[in-house]
Amino acid sequence: MGADAEIPTSPGIVCRGVSKVFPGGVEVLRPLDVTLEGGQTTALVGPSGCGKSTLLRLIAGLEAPTAGEILIGGAPPSVILREAALAVAFQDPSLLPWRTVRGNIELALKLARKPPDPRKVDDLIRLVGLEGFADTRPAALSGGMRQRVAIARSMVTEPRLLLLDEPFGAVDELTRRQLAEDLPRIWEPRRTTTVLVTHSVSEAVMLSDRILVLSPRPAKIVEDIPVDLPRPRPAGIDSTPAFRAAVQEVSAGLARGMASTTPLAAQ
Amino acid sequence: MSAAADHGVAPTTARRFTGLLGVVSLVVGWELAARALEGAFILAAPSDVAVWIVQNAGLLGRAFRVTLGNAAAGFVAGNLAAVMLAALALAWPRGERVIAGLALLIFCLPLVATGPILRVLYGPGPGPQITLAALAVYYTTFVPLLVGLRAAPSSWFDLVRSYGRGAMAELVHIRAAAALPYLFAGLQIAAPAAFLGAMVGEFTGAERGMGVLTIRATRALDVDAIWALATVAAAASMAVYAAVGVIARAVLTEPPPVILSPPPMPRTGGARGRAIVLTTAAVLGFALLLWWGAMELFDLNRFFAKRPDDVWAALVTAPDAAETRATLAQALRETSVYLLPGFAAGLALGTGMAVALTLLPAIGAGATAVAVALRSVPIVTTAPLVVLLLGRGAVGTIVLVAVMVFFPTFVACLHGLRQAPGQVIDVLDSYAAGPIARLWHVQLPAMLPAFFAAARMSVPASVLAVTVVEWLATGRGIGSLMALSASLSDYDMLWSSVVIVALLSVAGYAGVGAVERRVLSVYAAEQMTR
Repeated sequence: MGADAEIPTSPGIVCRGVSKVFPGGVEVLRPLDVTLEGGQTTALVGPSGCGKSTLLRLIAGLEAPTAGEILIGGAPPSVILREAALAVAFQDPSLLPWRTVRGNIELALKLARKPPDPRKVDDLIRLVGLEGFADTRPAALSGGMRQRVAIARSMVTEPRLLLLDEPFGAVDELTRRQLAEDLPRIWEPRRTTTVLVTHSVSEAVMLSDRILVLSPRPAKIVEDIPVDLPRPRPAGIDSTPAFRAAVQEVSAGLARGMASTTPLAAQ
Repeated sequence: MSAAADHGVAPTTARRFTGLLGVVSLVVGWELAARALEGAFILAAPSDVAVWIVQNAGLLGRAFRVTLGNAAAGFVAGNLAAVMLAALALAWPRGERVIAGLALLIFCLPLVATGPILRVLYGPGPGPQITLAALAVYYTTFVPLLVGLRAAPSSWFDLVRSYGRGAMAELVHIRAAAALPYLFAGLQIAAPAAFLGAMVGEFTGAERGMGVLTIRATRALDVDAIWALATVAAAASMAVYAAVGVIARAVLTEPPPVILSPPPMPRTGGARGRAIVLTTAAVLGFALLLWWGAMELFDLNRFFAKRPDDVWAALVTAPDAAETRATLAQALRETSVYLLPGFAAGLALGTGMAVALTLLPAIGAGATAVAVALRSVPIVTTAPLVVLLLGRGAVGTIVLVAVMVFFPTFVACLHGLRQAPGQVIDVLDSYAAGPIARLWHVQLPAMLPAFFAAARMSVPASVLAVTVVEWLATGRGIGSLMALSASLSDYDMLWSSVVIVALLSVAGYAGVGAVERRVLSVYAAEQMTR
């Protein structure tokens, strides 16, 4: 991080009265007030189409809220964008077809105006299980492999804020479990603030410190569940009673969220 | 295996062999037909063509070099103009429709009339040939480039923006690379079009070049020379088309797109109606301003460089305006008798052949390779051959227009039929549906966007074909009227013809577009709301 950077190493995120109505009057987010602690991983779970990805895009500064404000490390999203201290792993891997696996990962360094770092790129390729595919173009990769490239790309710039939009959606179960164990080892020591959108309750519990359950559209936060499991999460934690209890609590929260229209703030 | 080969860009050995077999069969069939028709003075055998080329190698070589030089200069100028226009449209998105409309209007200017006008404006020298070559190429590069610069999913732009980068990084990292296949597709079509433009320019009073030799041979009814010149023009066009293709395969990771037409205006209802009216008004306003401004800027003599008000006077307020209008109307009626059947026949034949080859896939692969290669032949430069073969009457003209429309329609429809979604075909196959049911329910609807794209782009092409044949051969219709007006220095009539033909071409293009929107709103609704 540069000495004159405005965004702290582990920026907190503050949403004040943030709402989003798309042209045509589709209300996606009801006015939302929430603070995400810096250095924590927060998971957003909720039914399909409820507005989780929209909230992520608002935090990333890719969309402007209809009302309210978002502050990242005390500054609007444009500041963290300007400092290239943000990385997003999109739902669609968004790989450039004319670049190889290595080229796609290196593109993030270029866009962030950081010097080339072949060793770090190779390490990440290995971490996401794509050794031997560094010079392969996306067309020759499976959906899961492409998604892993996108994850590696989001990590390579060592962002201060990492936004993951269903990053493991197309990844097979075994790789998904492996990635869920390995990836936090990268962002935890750096205390990267991470926001994760996922449909998988066990993935949310495995990766996050806090889980926000959103209602069907227009989204409201209907459950705010802390995950009190040790960090770093040891291998096999998913078979412990504490993990299973957390999964059950979030699942119950999701079920209540589907039925509920009353936001947490009003309870 | 190279990445290009991974994507099926490189032709396979089998396709090369099929192509070679096609060429050999064509030459043998041609030789046999010529021998059978010996003495009819319409068809020269390949051996006669070869003899003429050898005997006139010096003359032909000099003419070829001149035409190639003019075509190359026009190719560079036209493509630079296309890149600049596309960049302007990208930088000024709200003006894109107006820029595209102006580009279409200029592309629809009849070369048969702009040639003589440019000759007067430039005087002797290669100016008109180069300008006509540039005019013939810029639109076919501009359109795919414009599409290509936007041919990236929005998530790619989100990626760039998520690193705090702006429009310049989007251009460098996304748009430029995404547009490259489209640029090459445009350049590939532009290469033979430049040759065509240069030759039409030479038809209009140049001193040297292949066009000059063609005019002389046509007047002298030198059958061997006409065939030799058309063969050399076709071979040169196919060679440059192939050369651009080779470069494209070396550079690209995916094949160039086949459809070279802008998508229809993606709006609906009253908003679209208002947009069309506003765009049309803006295009006409800018066109008049550019026309008048250019004439005044270069202080061109009003005798031959007519201004908008001169044409208005000639058509509306002058004492002989009614007579001028009647002459134009009569010529347009004569032209439409050739143009409309030829256009319809070309569309029907192109579509029918594509459908037939889809139903008979065994011969489809080879035929596609030959058709794509033949698309590079500048049909208009073979006009004298068609006249030789079919005479100066209606049949020859209609056939030439139909051939002009046939190739792009055939290639586009064949491509469109292959765009049918495989999963939907699988569903039909799971019900043991036959090829006809598959064609009717899936492939024909999937083909419609490609069909209409080809039909729209065929409008100015067929106007070019009919006016060239009328000028060179039939002595009837608007093409002949423009040639006659040029030779009689009747510049009021010439400029009036240019305006009317260009406007009618644009109207025809828009008319096809209106039908397209209506049909695609049912059969390709996703494309219409993009």
